[in-house]
Amino acid sequence: MSFEPKILGFLCNWCSYAGADLAGVSRIQYPPNIRVIRVMCSGRVDPEFIFDGFEAGIDGIIVMGCHPGDCHYLEGNYEAEKKFNMVEKLLSFVDMNERIRLEWVSASEGNRFAEIVTEFTDKIKELGPSPVKDPSKANVLLKNINALKMSAVSYRLRALVGRERALTEQENIYGEKVSLERFNDVFENAIFDEYVRNRIVLSLKEDTKSVKDLAIELNMDPSKILSHILILKGRSQVSMDKIVGITPLYISTLEE
Amino acid sequence: MDNSRNVVVVGGGIAGIQAALDLADMGIHVHLIEKKPCIGGKMAQLDKTFPTLDCSICILAPKLSECYRHKNITIHTLSEVKNVKGERGNFVIDVLKNPRYIKEDVCTGCGDCSRVCPVRGVYNYFDVNLTTQAAAYIPFPSAVPPVYLIDGEKCAYINYGICELCVKACGAEAIDFNQKEELISIKNINSVILATGYDLAEFENPLRGYGYKKCKNVITALEFERLICASGPLGGHLKRLSDGKEPKKIAFIQCVNSRSYKAKQYCSSICCMYSAKEAMIAHEHDNELESYIFYIDVRAGNKGFQKFINRGETEYNIRYVKSKIAQIKTDAQQNPIIVYEDFESAKIKKLKVDLAVLATCIIPPDGIEELANIFKIDLNKYNFIKTDPFYPVLTSREGIYTCGCVHEPMDIPRSVAEASGAAAKAAESVREVEI
Amino acid sequence: MPDKISEEKKIGVFVCHCGTNIGGLVDCEKLAEYSKTLPNVKYSEHNLYTCSETGLAAIKKAVQENDLNRVVVASCTPRTHEPLFRECIEEAGLNPYLFNFVNIRDQCTWVHMKDPEAAYEKSKDLIRMGVSKAEKLEELEKIIVEVNPSAMVIGGGVSGINCALSLNNQGFKTFLVEKDKELGGRLKELYQVFPSDKQASELLNELVAKVKEAKNLTVYTSSKLKSVNGFIGNYEIEIEQRNHNVNLNVGVIVVAVGATSYKPLSLFNYNSKNIITQLELENKLRDNQIEANDIVMIQCVGSRNADREYCSSICCMTALKNALIIKKREPNRNISILFRDLYTPGTIYEEYYRKAREAGVLFIKYTPDKQPIIDKSVVKVYNQYINSEISIPFDLVVLATPLIANNDNRELAQLLKVPLEENKFFLEAHVKLRPIDFATDGVYICGSAKWPADISESTTQGLAAASRAGTILSHKTIEVEGATAYIPDWNKDLCKGCEVCIKICPYNAIVKDENNEIQIIQALCKGCGTCASTCTKKAIVIRHFTNEQIISEILAFGGEKVA
Repeated sequence: MSFEPKILGFLCNWCSYAGADLAGVSRIQYPPNIRVIRVMCSGRVDPEFIFDGFEAGIDGIIVMGCHPGDCHYLEGNYEAEKKFNMVEKLLSFVDMNERIRLEWVSASEGNRFAEIVTEFTDKIKELGPSPVKDPSKANVLLKNINALKMSAVSYRLRALVGRERALTEQENIYGEKVSLERFNDVFENAIFDEYVRNRIVLSLKEDTKSVKDLAIELNMDPSKILSHILILKGRSQVSMDKIVGITPLYISTLEE
Repeated sequence: MDNSRNVVVVGGGIAGIQAALDLADMGIHVHLIEKKPCIGGKMAQLDKTFPTLDCSICILAPKLSECYRHKNITIHTLSEVKNVKGERGNFVIDVLKNPRYIKEDVCTGCGDCSRVCPVRGVYNYFDVNLTTQAAAYIPFPSAVPPVYLIDGEKCAYINYGICELCVKACGAEAIDFNQKEELISIKNINSVILATGYDLAEFENPLRGYGYKKCKNVITALEFERLICASGPLGGHLKRLSDGKEPKKIAFIQCVNSRSYKAKQYCSSICCMYSAKEAMIAHEHDNELESYIFYIDVRAGNKGFQKFINRGETEYNIRYVKSKIAQIKTDAQQNPIIVYEDFESAKIKKLKVDLAVLATCIIPPDGIEELANIFKIDLNKYNFIKTDPFYPVLTSREGIYTCGCVHEPMDIPRSVAEASGAAAKAAESVREVEI
Repeated sequence: MPDKISEEKKIGVFVCHCGTNIGGLVDCEKLAEYSKTLPNVKYSEHNLYTCSETGLAAIKKAVQENDLNRVVVASCTPRTHEPLFRECIEEAGLNPYLFNFVNIRDQCTWVHMKDPEAAYEKSKDLIRMGVSKAEKLEELEKIIVEVNPSAMVIGGGVSGINCALSLNNQGFKTFLVEKDKELGGRLKELYQVFPSDKQASELLNELVAKVKEAKNLTVYTSSKLKSVNGFIGNYEIEIEQRNHNVNLNVGVIVVAVGATSYKPLSLFNYNSKNIITQLELENKLRDNQIEANDIVMIQCVGSRNADREYCSSICCMTALKNALIIKKREPNRNISILFRDLYTPGTIYEEYYRKAREAGVLFIKYTPDKQPIIDKSVVKVYNQYINSEISIPFDLVVLATPLIANNDNRELAQLLKVPLEENKFFLEAHVKLRPIDFATDGVYICGSAKWPADISESTTQGLAAASRAGTILSHKTIEVEGATAYIPDWNKDLCKGCEVCIKICPYNAIVKDENNEIQIIQALCKGCGTCASTCTKKAIVIRHFTNEQIISEILAFGGEKVA
């Protein structure tokens, strides 16, 4: 049997949901794989939702909003784009960034809606089933997706993504503005750091481990791991459990 | 109820409904007078609407319900205005209410009366007489008000004094054979909106020349709407009435009885668009279907209309034939044969089709002269209500406004806009009297 | 409210056949049966038309008889039918927000017509998702907003003036804002107006005289909209008049900015001398300057083509009117009108067409693939009927060009947050049944700003906009959406006061109060939800679109977590 992917769409009420309705009214046919969740604005789509979706075995997720400038809520779609960019970067760590898409569809673009859905469905078919459904990968992958989700809801990343437009588009009271390049540098490092830290936290939840153990597991330089451990200790997310020989073993203090 | 704020809207089609809803939403009480047993007018009978191909009843039904539930709207069905006294600010209007023989406020709409009614074969006006029903009936499933009625001319009890099966069957005890014609007087009417819509011409000539009623496969556009409608007589599966075969080739004939020196000289305004729409819906049911539209000018001026026509040509197998129809003949298999003068080649040609659909002419509604007499308003030379193009919703008499096809053939969006326009004038009048 | 939330969830599911629109492709009875197997579903049925009075009565009956406290309808789209069903369950005694809509028509059976099986499976998934959200729905109250009983009409042409006059007559304070120095819009450019012999200036004078008499009406000429804040009932407007700013407070806004005449700069050798537009002809007619003996009018210049697909609807009547004016003055002048399809719908317009024929105006049809060619002193046009090209001598060629959208429509649309359609005209809420409304409550559209309209139609639409506006302005208060953002008491401790939400809210609805706590002003919040998905501590909750509700939908589709 051919692979029929599960595709989830988040559509904003005013433009893209109306565009999807117009595709219906015009009887424009498209593949039946998509299931739509209506939200009032694409800005409502919490990054968390995307990871929840992949954890639940969904193969591809598409977010649609109003065209830039057309947002019924003025700027929600710009915020959606910022969040989407973060999610895309996070997903690239597990090689799943091609399974998400952000598109602008207006209320008068029934055709465009159908075209995008068709094209995205084909793309996901080509990529094949979500690796989450592969028993040989699922264990590690789900743990990593969980780490991604934890990163996406972390204060640091949410504060950065929430302030991106304010920082890069408006001047502060001293008349300074952060260049987009500089912001992106900071942001990308932050995204990667948070991901690694959350993987450490999750790994230490299973068992106490040394820096060396973690360095092997995460395939990273031990000194980097150590610096993350120190920050996580500072955040009270990790503590030292015991010392075996001369090697300190760490444990996660994360509660269930 | 504050009586000085009453407005009477005559006609419960889409124009009357919109006018009533606007006024009611302004806190003005509306009496909506409808001759038929339910509101909805012609729009309720249509399958889909152009240029969005929205299902007609789908977008109309919420408005019907809104009217029915609105605390500022009183719906009078089976009712006609008989007399008007007074003037703007203080009209008194006498309305003749015909008996329904079923108590409107008691009936649950369950249909038990209709199931037991032994009188069958009563033509259903809503299906353009293409179907028949019992003497106790409801015109269509989503009718508003959602109550049954008994056809007084056909009912066995009313005519012969025997039967009363429905009385026994009705658990709600809603049947009331004592109902009589009743003349009610509505007082303190500030102003009136006339929105009685239109009829479709069924003149013998040239319809007979086109084989209508001689050949079952020559039908009017409104009949086509019912035949292709999911809730219509064929359940949405378009078939020829002669032999039940699915048509593969349909001719749509424009300007039947209109734009003609022999019949009506004016243009009915809406046929170009609804014919394209009908051809498109037919094609959706069967994508091998071919349509030929025989026309003089394609009139597609409103929003999105030209695009709709273009789509029909490129995606729905519609071919436009600029032509003048001579006649429609019929062969032994009841196939209509269109005989026409082709303007492109300047030759007389013939085309055999499976079905011919006639875009018949919009005419003023039956009883327009009586209506004009009662309200003391002028008609124009085509017998539509006379209006001034620069003051479009005003009639010749103060306090009487109009909207929709009763003064000029027009499509639904324009009727709806005009209805709101007429409501604005009525609201101005109400406010002026208040101040 | 908490005791309501904890009470047993009893969901009723109603599957609509929508005639055959849904029922013709998928088995609605089976869908109703399937619904019964879902958690918390206590009742299900299928109806021919759930939205009919019969269907609504069935919902009410089922709610009462089965003590249901959540209702799910699987049918068309919430965009048209949600208010109806909400009202219905309210009448049945439930809070209207305890209703959830499942779209199995517009986004399922209509778009998967060739795959009934897949459409059926999709319908099942969508119902399951809808039921899972319904289970988590909570009661909400609508918010009451006061209405400022005044209006701003943008654009002082025929539609704007008529709208403003009607609002004035209805007793509402009205501000008419016109960017030009004088009122009148395109009426100022015209000579006579069809279908009568009336002078455009006469009609304009009549309207302007009424404007002057109007007590509640204030006109701002040479004025431009600068900023718009607020929402239905309470807009704060800033306009710039010449070099100073004026602030207005109004309850509703009407867009009546009209359209622009297209200049055919590269078409048919247009030179503004002996090849002119109909608009330029109007000026010559007014000044009685027509010397040409052979006049050729060409229709559909720059319209009904690949660039501009539409018919501008007023040009045929304009050409006929101008041809008749010339013929009336000088019956012996030769006038040919080269047309594609003559647009004279209805009674009077068609009569006008006949009059022009009777007056000796020659009508020659051309097709888009064989456009007329202007060659020195003749116009060459292929005539289908005689299957050859004919040459018509001319002294004057008059081109009928379409009305096109104003080039500042985009700017205005962004200020008002309303959409444009592909030709950059304003896009109404529904082309069929809401022709005068925008999707945004409290903002209306009339006249050529929406689509090319003649004077009669612009007048009607101006009045119509006044009626639509009147439905709001005649009330002291109206109810607005209750699905807003808030910080529940149990989340108050989460908030660390980072203020990201304050910056991100496009409506300035979030502030810090005197106790340094975040407050969300309910009347300003539109419920977009961006603050919640941004909130660094996930303290903000969006009513009716909570994380819990959305995640339950996701899981209902994906199945429980794969792990």
